[in-house]
Amino acid sequence: MTTIPLLLFLLSAAIIATVFAVVARSSGQEGAVDYARVNRLRGVFLLSLLVILGIFLTLTLPRLPYPVEAAVPERIVNVVGRQFAFSLTEGPGPESLENWDRDFVPDVQVPAGVLVEFRVRTLDVNHGFGIYTPEGRVLAQTQAMPGYVNRLRVRFDEPGTYNVMCLEYCGLSHHAMRGVIEVVGEAQP
Amino acid sequence: MRTLQAGYFPATPPEWFYAVMTLHGLGMVGVWFVAGLAAMSFLLTKYVRPSLTVSWIALGMTAVGVLLLVAATLVGKLGVGWYFLYPLPFFSEGTWPDWATAALFIALGVLGVAWTLWSGDVLRAIAGRYRLREALGWHYLSGRSDPEVPPIIIIATVSCIGVLAGLVAAVVILLLIGWEVLGGGAANDALLIKNLTFYFGHMLVNITMYFGVALVYEIMPAYTGRPWKTNTLVVLSWNTVLALVMFAYLHHLYMDFAQPRWLQVLGQLSSYLVSVPAAVVTIFSTLVLTYRSQTRWSLAPTLLYLGVMGWAIGGVAAMIDSTISVNQLFHNTLWVPAHFHTYYLMGVVLMTLGAVYHLAVTLTAEVENLKRSRIMAAHLVVGGYGLMLSFYLAGADSVPRRFAAYPAELTSGPMLAGISLVFILVLFGGLGLYLWDTGRLCARALRA
Ligand code: HEM
Ligand SMILES: [Cu+2]
Repeated sequence: MTTIPLLLFLLSAAIIATVFAVVARSSGQEGAVDYARVNRLRGVFLLSLLVILGIFLTLTLPRLPYPVEAAVPERIVNVVGRQFAFSLTEGPGPESLENWDRDFVPDVQVPAGVLVEFRVRTLDVNHGFGIYTPEGRVLAQTQAMPGYVNRLRVRFDEPGTYNVMCLEYCGLSHHAMRGVIEVVGEAQP
Repeated sequence: MRTLQAGYFPATPPEWFYAVMTLHGLGMVGVWFVAGLAAMSFLLTKYVRPSLTVSWIALGMTAVGVLLLVAATLVGKLGVGWYFLYPLPFFSEGTWPDWATAALFIALGVLGVAWTLWSGDVLRAIAGRYRLREALGWHYLSGRSDPEVPPIIIIATVSCIGVLAGLVAAVVILLLIGWEVLGGGAANDALLIKNLTFYFGHMLVNITMYFGVALVYEIMPAYTGRPWKTNTLVVLSWNTVLALVMFAYLHHLYMDFAQPRWLQVLGQLSSYLVSVPAAVVTIFSTLVLTYRSQTRWSLAPTLLYLGVMGWAIGGVAAMIDSTISVNQLFHNTLWVPAHFHTYYLMGVVLMTLGAVYHLAVTLTAEVENLKRSRIMAAHLVVGGYGLMLSFYLAGADSVPRRFAAYPAELTSGPMLAGISLVFILVLFGGLGLYLWDTGRLCARALRA
């Protein structure tokens, strides 16, 4: 999935660099500017840019990652973050820092193929709830913000161990702040 | 920083990485903002009279603010990241003392006042010669070109209005947090503060970019031998920018699912659209200015031209990331430092270095050693884009940003960090050569 944006970027960067190089090279020659032609060219450039942007908007706006009310999640997982761990459980999870040790659960099991809703909260600062596939790629993410519950919905196709990493800088051990999601059952077609 | 991420010094405690990262981020944002504003003010003196006293006061206050930040990060080990997301500064877990947090906010206050004064003074100077309508070029839209307004005036007006609008948000943040901490008010709404923080932070870095672009508009024509005059297009483009730049910051909150959805869509729309005037007017016109112009590529125009190219390339990467469904995968990965280093380091920094070199050469009237200039530029390009590529590849491979050390399964993180060191060395070689050469010219200018 991330290869498409990367390739798009590398392609655009190569085009831009080539145009700049060609124009820089042309500066060795002499020539008057034909402003009528320049303006026609600029118009074409403007139009193509708008068309490209329009295409990208129509392709991407229907794919927003936010929850759609019409779909009903089959599992609810309560995610609670604090410096520096995530608790994940189908139970309520820690409600306060005092009860952290009692109610903290480091991992959760969910079946493959069902729609899971993660209700993400935090007890101290902002954290980022980032789900990594067993291959180490980001699958989905949302922020954990004080005073808010962010709902992230995911359907896991492949069983395996999905690590959770913190994706919002939260202090000294930010890079060690983790959690685990075990996805069990059959791989989905 | 990259040496630590590559795992070369496993014994270094992570608070060092985060403190240095905070200083580097805040310091770089501050330094290039000030450098851009200073260079632009200097060039503005050709048309209007900004006050030298205000500039010096603002510079002095900036120095005080920066010293406070250096103390807070290096002595106090304050590691909050450059945008110090509320309420992190108050949750140090024993890493940094309260005085470091206090120093951060005092420094921000001092810098805020300094930059308000400075941008305000630039606007005052412009107002001394043009009315606001004229400084924004509106009379060009109704077909009049009298009085003639050079583009740098329009860009400076748009930029300084933007800075002031951004600083208003900074004042609100300081008041809200001050009320909570000192006045015993209730805890603040984290989503509100995050909106304000990014409105301000985005505005500041975005406007720094425009300072750089103002330098290009003003200096580039001297080398290509073609004028760059204000016309309807330039006016339309910069007024659109002024309107849209206020909403682009919303792309920093895509992953806050609690944010109203229409704001998220507005974020993608305005981030996309704000690129149009930049591409169709400024970048396109730079190319027109250069095409078959018989430019002699000494260092100044080379750096300015390369800076515009970096702006374009970084802009594409930014737009990709400002697509909400892509941001779901790229948010807070190294893709983010990748794109902003592209248009900062390879954009505004090159533009500013080019402008400074232009001034140094003009003052000394020295014949430039073109070969040396070419070597310098080559180092900057190879080192810079090599470093950028290491960031982009890591970002596309889901390596998180702001990790002092990478977990074992993210193998590409430390590997790319290691490779990037080579490019960083090349880059520093180029920068060192530049500093030596420019320093030499400035010393000569001072003696003369
Ligand atoms: C001289 C070459 C430079 C190198 C080698 C460099 C390297 C880095 C590295 C390794 C990071 C941390 C990335 C991470 O999140 O893991 C970083 C962050 C950053 N850099 Fe640079 N950088 C350079 C120039 C600049 C310049 C010119 C700017 C201009 C504004 C800049 C602004 C920033 C900012 C704002 C951050 C983010 C700090 C944060 O996340 O709080 N850098 N840089
Ligand atoms: Cu965290």
